[in-house]
Amino acid sequence: MGIVEEAHNLKVLGSGDRLIVLAHGFGTDQSVWKHLVPHLVDDFRVVLYDNMGAGTTNPDYFDFNRYATLEGYAFDLLAILEELRFDSCIFVGHSVSAMVGVIASISRPDLFSKIIMISASPRYLNDVDYYGGFEQEDLDQLFEAMGSNYKAWCSGFAPLAVGGDMESVAVQEFSRTLFNMRPDIALSVAQTIFQSDMRQILSLVTVPCHIIQSVKDLAVPVVVSEYLHQNLGSESIVEVMTSDGHLPQLSSPDIVIPVLLKHIRYDISTA
Amino acid sequence: MAVTSSDTHFLDIPDVVLTIIFSLVADTRTRNAMSLVCLKWHLLERSTRKSLTLRGNVRDLFLLPTCFRAVTDLDLSLLSPWGHPLLDSFPNPLLLAQFLRHAFPSVVSLTVYVRNPSTLHLLAPQWPDLRHIKLIRWHQRLPTLPLGIEFVALFEHCRMLSSLDVSHFHCWTEDLPPAIQAYPMLAASLSQLNILKHSSVEGFKSHELLAITASCPNLRELLATCIFDHRFVGFVSDETLLALASNCPSLSLLHLVDATSLSNVRPDLNDDGYTSEDASISRSILCDVFAGLPLLEVLVLDVCHNVRDAWPALELLNSKCPRLKSLKLGQFHGICSGVDSRPDGIALCHGLESLSIKNSADLTDNSLEAISLGCPKLSKFEVLGCKKISAKGIRKLTHVLRNTLVDVKISSCKNLNVVSLLQTMEPIRDRIERLHIDCVWKNADNSVKQTASSNGETRLKKKNKSRDNSFCSRTWSKLQHLSLWIAVGDCSGERRPCTGSLGLRYLARYPSLSRMLLDCSGVIGYGLTAPPGYPDLSLWERFFLYGIENLNLNELNYWPAQDMDVNQRSLFLPAAALLAQCGSLRKLFIHGTANEHFMMFLLRIPTLRDVQLREDYYPAPENDMCTEMRAESCRRFEDALKSINRHIPD
Repeated sequence: MGIVEEAHNLKVLGSGDRLIVLAHGFGTDQSVWKHLVPHLVDDFRVVLYDNMGAGTTNPDYFDFNRYATLEGYAFDLLAILEELRFDSCIFVGHSVSAMVGVIASISRPDLFSKIIMISASPRYLNDVDYYGGFEQEDLDQLFEAMGSNYKAWCSGFAPLAVGGDMESVAVQEFSRTLFNMRPDIALSVAQTIFQSDMRQILSLVTVPCHIIQSVKDLAVPVVVSEYLHQNLGSESIVEVMTSDGHLPQLSSPDIVIPVLLKHIRYDISTA
Repeated sequence: MAVTSSDTHFLDIPDVVLTIIFSLVADTRTRNAMSLVCLKWHLLERSTRKSLTLRGNVRDLFLLPTCFRAVTDLDLSLLSPWGHPLLDSFPNPLLLAQFLRHAFPSVVSLTVYVRNPSTLHLLAPQWPDLRHIKLIRWHQRLPTLPLGIEFVALFEHCRMLSSLDVSHFHCWTEDLPPAIQAYPMLAASLSQLNILKHSSVEGFKSHELLAITASCPNLRELLATCIFDHRFVGFVSDETLLALASNCPSLSLLHLVDATSLSNVRPDLNDDGYTSEDASISRSILCDVFAGLPLLEVLVLDVCHNVRDAWPALELLNSKCPRLKSLKLGQFHGICSGVDSRPDGIALCHGLESLSIKNSADLTDNSLEAISLGCPKLSKFEVLGCKKISAKGIRKLTHVLRNTLVDVKISSCKNLNVVSLLQTMEPIRDRIERLHIDCVWKNADNSVKQTASSNGETRLKKKNKSRDNSFCSRTWSKLQHLSLWIAVGDCSGERRPCTGSLGLRYLARYPSLSRMLLDCSGVIGYGLTAPPGYPDLSLWERFFLYGIENLNLNELNYWPAQDMDVNQRSLFLPAAALLAQCGSLRKLFIHGTANEHFMMFLLRIPTLRDVQLREDYYPAPENDMCTEMRAESCRRFEDALKSINRHIPD
C-alpha cells in the first residue's frame, strides 16, 4: 500500500466511469459519509479518505508546518488525485474541506469537473462589511479552552474542556467536532481554520461550484453562501436545505441525500 | 525451638503429586508466576494448563506459543483486531489454521468469533474431536449466505459435538433447524444447546423449537429465546410446551426467555403491573409439562406476558420436579398468596436454593414471608419489578433466611428506595456476598424518562458503606460484588449534566476495589449531531467518569453512552482523558469504538497491559464506514502498548 493510501485511510468503492471524491470536515472522518455512499456506489467510483490530523490517522504524520495553512491540505488532496490517476473528479467537500478543494482546483483545474460544497465558508470571523458568523470574543473562549487542553495534555493532566462548555452556540456547533483530535493538533487546526481568509482567491476559481448548506447552521450563516455565489470566479448555484446543523449529511440524511444526488448528477445549466 | 528435622523440600514431592497440585491452580497470573520459578516448574505448569485465552494481534499469529499443548479449552474470540474475520487477511489461511492445530492439539472446547463462514470452514476440520463450541458474532449475518451454511460447516467436521452455544452469535433463527436435521446422529448426541440469543431481539418460533428438540432427544440443557406474545406468528403455546417436554424428557436445565426480555429497557407495565396481553399458557398444561420433566434442576420461564393464577402448577413443581434448585419466573402472578403465613404456591418448593421473581404484580409482603418460611435453603434471591412489596416484607425475608442468603438483587420495585433497602439488609449484612440495588432516593421517580443506567460491579472487602452516614459504623465483611443502578435522567433533552459528577470518587473509600464494570450504555444522547444548543455526550462522559482516577482500579470494563441515531458508542475527549489518569489500570476493555488519537492517551498509564475495543452489542458497527478504530490504528496502538520502552513494574 502506498504511503498516501495508508496515511489517509484511502478507500475506493463502487464502479462507474466517473469519480467522486468525498472530503470530510475537521474533527470527523470519512464515516460522516456513511449514509451517502450506498447511493453512489452503483453509478460512480467513490473515493473516501481521512484528512491528516483526523482522529483516525496516525498523529505522527501531522506536520505542523505543512498544515499551518489550508494549502497543506490542498497538497494532500492533489497527491491523492495524482495517485488515483483519474482524469477529473467530482469533488464533494464538507465545511473547511470545501475550501481545500477550492484551493486545489485553482492550481489544477483540470482535475476537477465540479465542486460541491456543503456548509462551506471562506472566512469565519466577522469583518468590516462581512458577516462570517463569529466574533473575536467567541473565538477567544475557544482558544482558551483549546489552550488549556493542550497544556493539560502536555503536562500529563486530563484535558477536559469540550465544545459544550463554550458560551456561544455558534462556537459550540462548530467546535464540537474539533475536540475529537489530539489537543496539540486540535489547537493547530483551530488556529488554521479561524485565521484563514479565502475571500481573495474566490475570484480565481474556474471550476463550477454547487453551494449547499442548512438553513439553520450556526457556524455558517446563510449570507455566507450568498457571498460565495457572488464572489466565485466560476459559475455557481446555491441551494439552502431545510436541515439543521453543521453536519447535515449525518444528522438529516433524508433531506440531504436527495439534494446531494441531484447536484452530483446534474450540472449548472449555462443558459 | 521445635525443629521438625525434615530436609524435605517442596521440590522433593514426587512429580505425580506436583502435577496434581499444579492442575488445581486456576488463576492465570499465579500460573504465570509459577512457570517462572525454574525449568521444571515451567514444564509442569505448561503441561497442566487446560484453559487458554489467546490475546494478541492476529498478524502475529506466527509467534503463537507451542508450549501449551495440554490446553483443552481454547478461546480465540479475543484476538485483535476484535471482531475481524479471523484468517482472511492472510494469503495462506489454511497453513495458519493447521498451525493452530499443531499448537493446540488437545482442544475439545473452543470459543471463536465467526465473522463469516470461512472461519469455520478453516477451523472446524482442525479439531474433529471437538465436544463444545461457542460461536460469537455481534456483527450482522450477511444476508446473502445460504441458510445454515455455518452450522453445516461445523457439523460436517465435528461429529463428536455435544455442546453448542450460540447465545452471542447473530444468525437467523431459520439457520439452525435445517442444519440440525441434516445431521441426525450429531443431533441425537447433543446434550447442551444454548440458543438464548442475546445478540438480537428475535426469538425462535414454535415450530423451529420443536424441530430442533425433536432432533435432539438427549438434551440435558436447553436455553432458548422464544416468543410468548400470541399475536405473533410462531408464539409458544400450550402445545409447544407439551411437545417440548415430551421431546426432551431428560432436561435438567431449561431456560425459555421471551425475546423482549433481553433488550435492556425496563419493562413497560401498567399501573397494576400487568402487561396488556396474557400469555397463552394455561396452568393445567404447566402441570403436565412439569410432570414430563422429572429431572429438572434449573428452570427459567421469563414470559413477559401475564401468566395468571399460577400457584397450582407451582405447588406441583415440588413433587414433580424434586431436584429443582433454581427457579426464575417472569410475569407470573398469583404465585404465592401467603395468607395466614402458611406457605402456598411457590413457597411449597422447599428444595429451592435460588429464586428470582420478576414482574409479579400481586406479590405482597405476606408472599415474601411465606416464601422465606417455605424455602429455608434459599441462598440467592432476586425480585424485580414487583410493585406491591415493601421494605417490611424484604426485612422479614432477610431475617428468616439470615443463615442462608448470600446473593440478593432488588430492582425496580416502586415502594423501595435505597435507605429502606439498606435497612432490610441488616440481618444479612455480615454474610452477604453479592448485592444489587437500585439507587433511588425518593419514593416516586421524578425523571422524565429513565433512559440511563449505570452499573458498577465491584469487588469489596471489609469496608464501610459510603452513601448513608447512619450506617457508617457497620461493616459488610463478606461483600464481594456490589451492583448499583443509578438513574440519571433524559440526556437528549435540554438539561446538561449538573456541574458536579456522578460521585465515583466516593468509591475511593474502598481501596480494595479493583475491578469495575461501568455500564453507561443505557444513557442515550447525541454524539456529533446534537441539534443546536443541545448538550452532547462528551459532557455526560465527563460527568460519569469524573473522579475515576481516585480509584485503585486494576480492571475496567466500560460501556460508553450511545448515540442511537447513528449507532455509535464511542469515547470522546473527556473519557479518554479521564481514563488515562487511572494510574493503576492493568486491563481496560471498552465496549464501543474510539479513534486512534484518543487510544494513544491511554499509553500514559504505566501499568496498562491489555486493552481492547469490543463492540459486543448488536449490531456491531461494520468496519470501514462506521468504526473509528481501523485495523492499522489498532496495530499501531498495540505495538506501542507492547513496546520495550514501557516499564511495567510487576
